[in-house]
Amino acid sequence: MLPYIIRRFFHLIPTFLGATLLAFLISQLVPGDFVTQRALEPNVRQETIDRMRAQFGLDQPVLVQYVRWMGSLVQGDLGMSFSSNQPVMNVIRRPIQNSLYLVLFATILLWMMAIPLGVFSAVRQYTFGDQAVSAVSYFGLAIPNFFFAQVLVLGLFLFRGFTRETFGYSSLLFPVAGMTSNGWENFTPWHQFWDIMWHMIIPGFVIATASIAGFTRVLRGQMIEYLGSDFIRTARAKGLGNRSITYKHALRPAIIPFIAGIGALLPSLIGGAGLVEIVMAWPGITPRLLDAIQRQDIYVVLGFLVISSLLLMIGNLISDLLLAVADPRIRYG
Amino acid sequence: MRRLFLSLAFAALATFAVANPFVWPAGWTVTPPGEAEYGGTLSTGALSDPRTFQPVLQSETNEVTDMMQYATLLTQGPDSDEWIPYAAESFTVSDDGTVIDVVIRESLRWSDGEPITVEDYFASYILQTDPDTGSNKYDSWFLNDVQITMEITGERSMRFTFPSTDRLAFAGLAHFPVRDDILGEAYRTGGADAVNALWGTETDPSELVFDGPFMLSGFQPGERLIWVRNPYFGSWNVDEAGNELPFLDGMIHRIADGDAQLNLFLAGELDLFGPRNLDDIGVISVAIQNGDIDAEVIEGIGAAGSSQFIVFNWNLERDPFLQNVFRNVNFRQAMWHLVDREAIIELVYSGAAESMHTNVYLNSPFWVNEDVTTYDYDPERALELLARAGFSQRDGQGYLVDAEGRRISFTLATNAGNAQREQITQIFAEDAQAIGVDVTPTALDFSLLVDQLLSSGDDRPFEAILIGLTGGGRDWPFGDSVLTCGGFLHMFNTSGECITATETLIEQLVKQGRQTLDTDAAREIGFEIQELEAQMAPILYTVSPQVHTAFASRLAGEHPREIMAGAPVGTRQLPLTHIR
Repeated sequence: MLPYIIRRFFHLIPTFLGATLLAFLISQLVPGDFVTQRALEPNVRQETIDRMRAQFGLDQPVLVQYVRWMGSLVQGDLGMSFSSNQPVMNVIRRPIQNSLYLVLFATILLWMMAIPLGVFSAVRQYTFGDQAVSAVSYFGLAIPNFFFAQVLVLGLFLFRGFTRETFGYSSLLFPVAGMTSNGWENFTPWHQFWDIMWHMIIPGFVIATASIAGFTRVLRGQMIEYLGSDFIRTARAKGLGNRSITYKHALRPAIIPFIAGIGALLPSLIGGAGLVEIVMAWPGITPRLLDAIQRQDIYVVLGFLVISSLLLMIGNLISDLLLAVADPRIRYG
Repeated sequence: MRRLFLSLAFAALATFAVANPFVWPAGWTVTPPGEAEYGGTLSTGALSDPRTFQPVLQSETNEVTDMMQYATLLTQGPDSDEWIPYAAESFTVSDDGTVIDVVIRESLRWSDGEPITVEDYFASYILQTDPDTGSNKYDSWFLNDVQITMEITGERSMRFTFPSTDRLAFAGLAHFPVRDDILGEAYRTGGADAVNALWGTETDPSELVFDGPFMLSGFQPGERLIWVRNPYFGSWNVDEAGNELPFLDGMIHRIADGDAQLNLFLAGELDLFGPRNLDDIGVISVAIQNGDIDAEVIEGIGAAGSSQFIVFNWNLERDPFLQNVFRNVNFRQAMWHLVDREAIIELVYSGAAESMHTNVYLNSPFWVNEDVTTYDYDPERALELLARAGFSQRDGQGYLVDAEGRRISFTLATNAGNAQREQITQIFAEDAQAIGVDVTPTALDFSLLVDQLLSSGDDRPFEAILIGLTGGGRDWPFGDSVLTCGGFLHMFNTSGECITATETLIEQLVKQGRQTLDTDAAREIGFEIQELEAQMAPILYTVSPQVHTAFASRLAGEHPREIMAGAPVGTRQLPLTHIR
């Protein structure tokens, strides 16, 4: 296994270089630059525009800019953000961390919902329940995340109207935006943790529903296959109960592909949690990345891309390794 | 002479009130003096994180540096364009207006209790005028490319010397201090780099000092800025009843995009919200009616501080025919008659916009020439003018052509993603097509569009663009860069030379106006510039959207309705805001 890991690691280097070069070139294809946007203010003089370009190195040829950037990258420096005049790492660390919380929570939520549903669909094949699970989960797949989030927020407002009329209770069930409540910094650590969890419920649910359809369908197929296999017939012949057969003997092998998929968690960070973060004002990757793209703060954009491609590659490696651990039939030489 | 720029009366008044705090006029708030209560926290929104806490660097305004740039020597109130002493106790102006002596108030204090000194103002001047610090105030220290200078003349006095008599001089006295013993000292020992390394957003808020009504107590990136009352602000800021300001104990900025801010407002978590359009107003009104929130919403408090127009490119060497068409005044006037402002206001803005006829933003009504030549929607008149430009015959497809059978055909670009502008280009193109002028609306990336617009020379890469301008002051809304032939924002012609006599005349008037200190006389010159520009019609002004506001009913102390407006005046003064 060790030589395999080492070999994989060396394969990462050219992939990484290629990815960053491509990202850099694409970022340069965009017309204008960070300074362009200031030029539409009547008070700004041409001299200032030129001076800022020189200051940020934007007047240099693309290749020179790339080599400079790459040079500092190999030393672990992602460059400076134009708009905030501080190292890119400072700018992107918190958003990545916040997105990670949300993606992790959504994944756990996904497993908590999808495994029982998949098992249910498999053991109650072609029943009304099976069809209903499929219909609802495909709905989750089809509806765009940002829209679904907005619909849920609207639902919260409508529900507030209902509870106020009926019970005189006029608070919202869940928060409509943000990651923490006002005064969070003064909470106890335990209370802080719960506050974040409470804010994660709506965005986490939205993200989880997007993957639920695929997950339940695959799990259902796997389960059906294993439930019809010889070792299950043997287990039944030994007189084992249904529950034990389903959850102990069939579910375990059926779940292997998903365990391997844990490694893919990191790559799913690439887009952060997507536009849900904007709709719900979650301080994650997406709002910061879009903001940087809009301002053409290219080193911040590239910083996110570099970290993302690193996570993608490491994530893939972890996936492969986990697969080997989880499935005894796979061996790497 | 009502708005006489260099008002001696103010100087006399200020000298009379020796070492006294600045008294916030009762006319700036709806709450009568003495009735406001102390306490409470204001919750409002911010669209994105501050990018730095350093007041000199800063390429754009942010909530934190705003609170560090409060103690400006002079300020403009919401009710007038006149400059009044704020951190300054008094000021005197030389006869030719080139030397201004300022004395600062004795009671000025930073948020840590240290006095704000002339050295602090001087440090700010030194830092802002070094190009290496990258201050966005750098340009404001130059008049016609000659630098304004500042010197300390006494314990509480300083002198500003301007290279020439200039209306814009006073804007230079909206000058704020920075801490000499922190930022100034860093500059003296390590230069601009040392200053720029200070006060990044990672800095512990307790290390920062403020001169505004609040000081930062916490920053949660992507989430919120938490503020507490600056206890020393009241030493030099009181209301007319003598109460030390501000009234509020604290403030919170929730960082969220427009939609999320609306949701937070509807959830009762924000006290203030700026509805972006009539849809937002509708949603808020319903929530108010249903009793979900206790708030007020005001539709159309005033026009936005921006312009929106169509500009034709006069520098089209590669297409002499089209270049001649664009340089023909009859053609441009005809096109202006095709801008259906009423339709745009109704269809695009659902009524929440106002017609614009000159370059002056509608939120500066003092400077708008109401009697200027206007071009109302009139296709018949447009046809007459086009005939005068030589386009009176029609080809087989019904398009207007000249004697040689050439039709007028051009592309009208605007920035992609701005739905309103895209709709305006559509409306204009349809009206033009209807009378036989071939206009193709197109949407381009904003940066590309700006690159095209700002390109210079005799052959520039666009035909016509719909775009807008924003920024500029209330002292003289006729920017050099926009109205002089060499200006890089002289958008229709950036060849560097004036092409028409009118351009030359406007250029002279712009320079003359800046040197006219008497505001009424300057206003007359401004009116003449607007009239000349209207007759030449190089830029077809369209409409200006209105600004709206909504706030929780518990929040009080807003401007009286008649002086309430969008930026730069705003809907309220923060120190006078209080909770009911």
